Amino acid sequence: MEENNTYNKTNGIPAVVRTNAALLWSKVLTFFKDIAAKLSSNAKLLKSLKITFVTFVTILSLFAIFMFVFYAVPALQEIPSPGKTQITSSKELKENPEYKKTITALTRENQRLAKKYDSYTSGQSYIVINTTDNRFYLYRNRKLVREGFCSSGSYTMLKTEGERKWIFKTPKGKYRIQGKISSPVWRKPDWAFVEEGLPIPPADHPSRYEYGVLGDYALSIGDGYLIHGTIYKRFLGMPVTHGCVRLNDEDLEAVYNTLSIGSKVYIF
Amino acid sequence: MSRGLVVTVLIVTAFLIYYAIMSIMAPGKKFKELENEIRSGLTTTSQIDERFINDSLYIGLLREKAFLQSRILMAGTDSISLTLNLADSLAQLEIAGVVVKTTDIEGIRMSKMLHQGNDFIITSLLSSPLNITGDRATIKKEPLMVKMAPKDTSEYKPDIMPDTSAYEAVSYILETDKGIRIYVTQSEKAKKGYGKELAWFDLKYRLGNSWEALKSAAQLKVPEYHPFIKIKLPRTDAKVIYRAIPTKGQITVYI
Repeated sequence: MEENNTYNKTNGIPAVVRTNAALLWSKVLTFFKDIAAKLSSNAKLLKSLKITFVTFVTILSLFAIFMFVFYAVPALQEIPSPGKTQITSSKELKENPEYKKTITALTRENQRLAKKYDSYTSGQSYIVINTTDNRFYLYRNRKLVREGFCSSGSYTMLKTEGERKWIFKTPKGKYRIQGKISSPVWRKPDWAFVEEGLPIPPADHPSRYEYGVLGDYALSIGDGYLIHGTIYKRFLGMPVTHGCVRLNDEDLEAVYNTLSIGSKVYIF
Repeated sequence: MSRGLVVTVLIVTAFLIYYAIMSIMAPGKKFKELENEIRSGLTTTSQIDERFINDSLYIGLLREKAFLQSRILMAGTDSISLTLNLADSLAQLEIAGVVVKTTDIEGIRMSKMLHQGNDFIITSLLSSPLNITGDRATIKKEPLMVKMAPKDTSEYKPDIMPDTSAYEAVSYILETDKGIRIYVTQSEKAKKGYGKELAWFDLKYRLGNSWEALKSAAQLKVPEYHPFIKIKLPRTDAKVIYRAIPTKGQITVYI
């Protein structure tokens, strides 16, 4: 039988394909040999190629060291496990009277602690003021009854050429309503004059009293800080005040009617 | 290749391997230190029956007790504090025991030590608040602006509406007295151009940590290990929490 080379297969590869691959490979080899011959004859090119290679390897090594030190080592630190406790739930243990006693005591203790923690939240009315988002939340009987925008301290530091300076920020923490005033009159402090470039008048000078700018009500939280109304309603939701908390007329009325003297004010 | 280069490469490789081994030993050393500290602090009446500490119900109740005790301790101050309830994925701001802000944690990662370590040791570690000793952030704690007072009325310019639209990428690290570090990052992808800011912040911190660890390793000491809790919060809430919590504030963690 005549042998057909074209279809003679070794390892499933036709002979013609093998021949073509060998031809291609020899061409590739020749191509690289030519390049190598040209390079060896061109010392300048060879040198610059070497420099490029060394630079590349150096950069790659530095990058590898960087990744190893800053990322791989911290990741490796999380691999070892320092003796994990095997959590079980054995039946034998559950029958142990001492165990039962301990569990009962712990459960009671947790109930007592939970009750104690729960008692910190007053059943009476209180207000929460978020000075970053400039929002307020009014609670009564532990339920949110009203929320809305407010304006709080602007975080401005007013400085004079002399030594005087004021920082306009709303204090944070727990406060209490110390006083409730209707139709409040603003007694302008020194900074109100300094801010406008006006001379500071004597303590009881009539120019210190301004009517109608604080809205219908004001609630004092101490140290001169008030929760009051505003004529600058377009600024509600923004940090623009000198430290007081401004509310719109409706919200102010609701807050005034809900909170009493001694009610808690939480500012954060 | 010159002999000098080979020697240099070998020395660097050897040091890196040594550094890696020392660093890998660090969590184990830290855990042992904590264990000794906690066990030595136990009074004879509070000694734990070894049979009980492997029981899931007992450990669960102990964790709950630790969490409540820590929150009650924080409530004793009128200061603003942070509670991280990792079991329920909640971050809460509290003032004197009253929750004033709650936000969902959208991603949690923590040191293996904290969730795979001896439960009794970790529970004891977290039974009192973590006190913040330092922080670093991409945003200012108090965004203070300085304004010079006008000399007279002619210089006075009424305040214009503040620009509150400026975008700030939020990431911060709270360092605590027990060595635990809380990493908070915004859960949303940063706006175009701000991703670099977050990456640079992370890299700077890694650089500082690695430098300290390299120095310790060079002095033949096991580097200091800081167990971590990394959480992702919505950007605005992360900012609110950072600005609210005092520089020396307290944190309670429930794992």
